[in-house]
Amino acid sequence: MAVKSVSLDRGYWVFLLPGAVALLLVIIIPFLINVGISFTAWNGITEPTWIGLDNYQKAAHDKTFWMSFQNNLYIIVAMTIIPTIIGLFLAAFLYDFVANKIGNRVASVFRAGYYLPQILPVAIAGVVWRWILQPRWGVLNWLLDQVGMEPRNWLGDADIAIYSVMGIMVWFQIGYPLVIFMAALQRVDPELYEAASVDGANWLEKFIHITIHQIRPEIFVVVLMTLIHSLKIFAQIFVLTRGGPGRATIVPSYFAYQNFFEKANVGYGATIATIMTVIIILLTVLFINVQSRQELREAA
Amino acid sequence: MRKTLLSITILLLAALMIATPNFSPQAAAQDSTTLKIWHYESPDGAMGAAWQAAMDKFEELHPEVTIEFESRGFEEIRQTAPMILNSDEVPDVMEYNKGNATAGFLSQNGLLTDLTDVAIEYGWDQILSPGLQTTSRYENGIMGSGQWYGVTNYGEYVMVYYNKDMFAEHGVEVPATFEEWEAAMQTFVDAGITPLSVGATEYPAQHIFYQLVLSQADRDWVNAFELYQGDVDFHDEAFTYAAEKIVDWVERGFISDDATGIPAEDMGVAFTNGEHPMMVSGSWWYGRFMNEIENFEWGTFLWPGNDLHAGSGGNLWVVPANAKNKELAYEFIDITMSPEIQSILGNAGGIPVNADLEQIEDPMVRELISNFNAIIEADGFAFYPDWPAPGYYDILVSGVQELIAGTMSPDEALDFLADPYFEYRETVTD
Repeated sequence: MAVKSVSLDRGYWVFLLPGAVALLLVIIIPFLINVGISFTAWNGITEPTWIGLDNYQKAAHDKTFWMSFQNNLYIIVAMTIIPTIIGLFLAAFLYDFVANKIGNRVASVFRAGYYLPQILPVAIAGVVWRWILQPRWGVLNWLLDQVGMEPRNWLGDADIAIYSVMGIMVWFQIGYPLVIFMAALQRVDPELYEAASVDGANWLEKFIHITIHQIRPEIFVVVLMTLIHSLKIFAQIFVLTRGGPGRATIVPSYFAYQNFFEKANVGYGATIATIMTVIIILLTVLFINVQSRQELREAA
Repeated sequence: MRKTLLSITILLLAALMIATPNFSPQAAAQDSTTLKIWHYESPDGAMGAAWQAAMDKFEELHPEVTIEFESRGFEEIRQTAPMILNSDEVPDVMEYNKGNATAGFLSQNGLLTDLTDVAIEYGWDQILSPGLQTTSRYENGIMGSGQWYGVTNYGEYVMVYYNKDMFAEHGVEVPATFEEWEAAMQTFVDAGITPLSVGATEYPAQHIFYQLVLSQADRDWVNAFELYQGDVDFHDEAFTYAAEKIVDWVERGFISDDATGIPAEDMGVAFTNGEHPMMVSGSWWYGRFMNEIENFEWGTFLWPGNDLHAGSGGNLWVVPANAKNKELAYEFIDITMSPEIQSILGNAGGIPVNADLEQIEDPMVRELISNFNAIIEADGFAFYPDWPAPGYYDILVSGVQELIAGTMSPDEALDFLADPYFEYRETVTD
């Protein structure tokens, strides 16, 4: 019996090989090269010069670098925290109310609608948002003007640009948690709700004690995925503001890109990318640990 | 069995398809009958029209050569040129930005062909005045002297576009001095009109900033800043004046504070729509305004009071070091320099460097060209502020935005501009 299971294990390895090779080629080797480059001063063309930890020291004192991480915190709020919370309520609302009282089809239409921004090419959605928010002839300012409110320079005012970007990010992001949560809700045993109703629980109590509790694994996944996504945010910033006005909406990956490609500061760009990767890995490990510990506690 | 055969065939075909692209570049190397040209001018602009004519002419002269033209984006080339030119997939001749940060940087790293002998052979060194040659020649990556790495065949400069109808309506004359100009702008502000159309999410705002710097600078200053000949102090009189003036102009309403949300395109559209009486920008708008402005009369004047103006020879034709058909590329460049093509360029609203003025029909274009020639004669080209270092364009966009938005004091903004400048300059001049 023991012999058989060993040969079975060996058999499985073959199937892992293609994935492992791809992982090595596409992720692990480039990552190691990137780490290597981060210890050099390099313009991307001539021979790199080894400068040890200089780039990391520079990053520690670079105001723009810290600003980009601070902005990243705002982006996490807009891409992870707000969409998860709204997504939970919206999913419960669509599932409990719209699907039950109005019809499944209507709920599907809404779900597809909320998911649409996830499918639209970022470049196109970004250009459209820029038109909407254009300070002189954008639709939003026109609307505000119609109802007698003060128009604003949404993406061009350093004080509010990051909030405008956050608003757009919520719009971009909302469909993802919604779709996952709605699928998760199908899994929840209806008897739990019935039992709770018999015990006199109201909607909110059921939502907190049954819904959230039951779909916790999905919530974990959504939070982790969107967190990673928000730490890597690049395309939306590139299309909407290019980190401007000034540096008001700069984020680490855009800052890394600027150094890597535009300023021919490849070493420093690689340093920022490496720091970002380390943060993402740490957060992911931490998260998965917390999750499995919780699962263990529940099992026990 | 049949199924197995079929799958094997498909597999082999797939393998072949993957393998073939590796062979094609070598095949093209022997094949001298294609000329690969890249540029990023819009087809209806002056340069686009002239170069299209040049390609037609080339095909007429060389029926055996096929031209493979690809229209590229300015941003795409700006950001990826070092990587593309470092590969095998290079064009034979390509439009590229001039300056230390771009052509200089590539020439220093051996990615561009040295054109010195070719320029003498074809006589390009006679056609281009020394002022225009500045951007063609690079020594250790610094422009101004040394070998030829690019050739320009048009010129450009920054000027003030104005709406003649709005000027007449408010009784404003074309200003002769800086003081008169500020007074004119005040007149419009008093009438509730923002005088300048400005787009600060892209290049236009930094040109205004640079023109203000130049109003307090001289040739030595420009050489120090652009050509690294001499010391630069970002807190000197010229920089400080310009930074404070930008803030002052925003406060007085000459520049709207929502400019930080306006891209260059929208700035041009706002001027075309008659929303502002003036716009400070480059000659690259000229051809387009000739076609698009229909509702009012317009004209241009040079920035009042300045001897130095942002401007230079236009973008360069460069021949990548890895190009396969260099001889054909040289010939194509020479065609674009010919008076015939140059006249087409001028008539379409561009600034030719080798045209017969008699051949230019439009009086407005003649005025544009004669203003350009006046700057050449006065040795007044001060190039552009983003040239000194790679990526400096973005730094300037951010810095001037911070000034307009009031999020940095003039001193802070100047420090912000100084650091990346010296960081790069030290790597080049060491």
